[in-house]
Amino acid sequence: MRINDAILGAVLLAFSLAVGVYARTFPAIPGQEYGASVFPTWISIALGLCSVVLIAGGMRQWAETGAVSLAPWARSGHHLRTLAITIALVIFYILASTPLGFIPTAFIALVILFGVLGVKPLQIPVLAAGITMAVHYGFYSLLRVPLPWGVLTPWAW
Amino acid sequence: MDAILLAAQLVFQLDVLVTIVLAALFGLFVGSVPGLTATMATALLVPITFFMSPVAAIGAIVTCSAMAIFAGDIPGTLLRIPGTPASAAYTDEAYAMTRKGQGELALGANLLFSALGGLFGTAVLIVAAPSLAEVALQFSSFEYFWLACLGLTCATVVGSGSTIKGLVSLMIGLLVATIGLNNPAGVPRFTFGNVDLMGGIDFIAAMIGLFAVSEIFRYVLGMSADTSNVQAPAGNLFTGWGRLFKQYWRQSLRGNVLGTAIGALPGAGADIAAWVSYAVSKRFSKTPEKFGTGHVEGIIESTSSNNAALGGAWVPALVFGIPGDSITAIVIGVLYLKGMNPGPTIFINNPQDIYAVFLIFILANIFMVPAGWAAIKSARLLMRVPRNVLMPTILLFCIVGSFAINNSAFGISVMLAFGLLGFIMEENGFPIAPTILGIVLGPLLEENFVTSMIKSDGSFLGFFERPLAAGLGIITLAIWIVPLALYFWRRSRG
Repeated sequence: MRINDAILGAVLLAFSLAVGVYARTFPAIPGQEYGASVFPTWISIALGLCSVVLIAGGMRQWAETGAVSLAPWARSGHHLRTLAITIALVIFYILASTPLGFIPTAFIALVILFGVLGVKPLQIPVLAAGITMAVHYGFYSLLRVPLPWGVLTPWAW
Repeated sequence: MDAILLAAQLVFQLDVLVTIVLAALFGLFVGSVPGLTATMATALLVPITFFMSPVAAIGAIVTCSAMAIFAGDIPGTLLRIPGTPASAAYTDEAYAMTRKGQGELALGANLLFSALGGLFGTAVLIVAAPSLAEVALQFSSFEYFWLACLGLTCATVVGSGSTIKGLVSLMIGLLVATIGLNNPAGVPRFTFGNVDLMGGIDFIAAMIGLFAVSEIFRYVLGMSADTSNVQAPAGNLFTGWGRLFKQYWRQSLRGNVLGTAIGALPGAGADIAAWVSYAVSKRFSKTPEKFGTGHVEGIIESTSSNNAALGGAWVPALVFGIPGDSITAIVIGVLYLKGMNPGPTIFINNPQDIYAVFLIFILANIFMVPAGWAAIKSARLLMRVPRNVLMPTILLFCIVGSFAINNSAFGISVMLAFGLLGFIMEENGFPIAPTILGIVLGPLLEENFVTSMIKSDGSFLGFFERPLAAGLGIITLAIWIVPLALYFWRRSRG
């Protein structure tokens, strides 16, 4: 999905203005001319200038491309749903992994994602369980990453 | 001499060698699956390298990236789908050879000249890095400021696509680098009172998001190519190596030299080296009309070039701590984590570490021949790995890897945010590499700028007072001003 450069430029311009204004609030160091705000301010100025160039270029192409040119997937409800589910599953992991534990969370997430992506139903639970346990063994047992146990804490090893 | 022996002791240990072999297999696998890039392989490897000895960690990254760059040629040749962007320059040519029934010749040439290119880049690294380090010893904050500027400038100017979008990408990276407490003034910036943000944005989580998660998003949107109908080449890969070498050693050498030079340029890596070398090969060929019809000449020159670029990219990374491309940007992060801070002093204080890196480079490029042979033979199997099982597994890897950086879920949030950012940026033609270079070089740039300003009492002239600094400064400013001046000059002439 290509968004016209003028729109992206406008968003970036607003963003750079916000950054520039916010950077003014950083405390100055007494007797030091170059404090914490110098760098962010410069970046916001440079970003602002780039956005203006983007806006100018995007306006010239506006007649041909319009505001947004949709990629095939953007018209496909199935693909958009898959993307939404993928993102939702990562958020689900972030929220649920501590209370629920790594093993149940990863297993549930994999089962759903495999299902959405069309893995054969009979293979799904086997693959999900196998991959979850393999990743758990690799990172928890071999690399000693403290993956959360959650509800499985009484059976932790 | 003692240092070389020490280095050999560091490298020739069972755990290091096993790590290198495993990393090689991983690199070959990732490189030969289209959509999974060499940079992504490296990014996924980093969380695992946390738990290794420094030499094993560096060995894993060197081997993995070299193998992935070579393996990218396999699906390019067999299916016309480049496995990594570095193979894209000559994919059409190699596929044309496959259609003419010369797939073995193309893959054999890729393997031979990739390994030779890698060894050449290594030789340059071995010769150039220590002597450059002696020069670098005289550098002060002024020179480092200009070097960082030069690296960032090259990253936006040399890359393909729109320069202005490259600049935006760079500014986003620099801005991300300012988040947190880690700045010369020690003031919290853009943290909005959030404790996690105080520590700054971890660049490894950002990397995994930008290079791996964004690719998974592209896959679930059905934007990946189908690779199920591949035929593995059956013939002998090694036939004709002697003849190829005798006939094309000039092209190979030219590709090696150009590739190493482009790799050593901060910000330009293997993919750009391959494009430039392919064009150069066509320009100087005696038979340019054969290019595009399945002619091995251009393939040899550009495959030599992209592997040589890997060694070249390590020169500025080891000597100045300035990354040559996005892979060495990751490497620099790992070097700091492992206490092997890059810079000229490492050549004096810990020469054994440097020699160990050199040794691993040589080992990796020699091991490439048997491992590459095996990968080509099992190409059918590799490319048939069901993507709908592979991609969710990689996503789980990304999640656990981002968690492992600080053992906190914050890393996963960073990963997700940057995955979305990377996806939107790529969709709209913004290159991603400048963002990563901005995140890595931002703190260096700011620190050296502030130090320099304090030293020179707030006078900008200080940046031109030392001859080395003045030279670097003039080069950097010339790269900014000359294209602009040329542009306005052309416009004024109509």
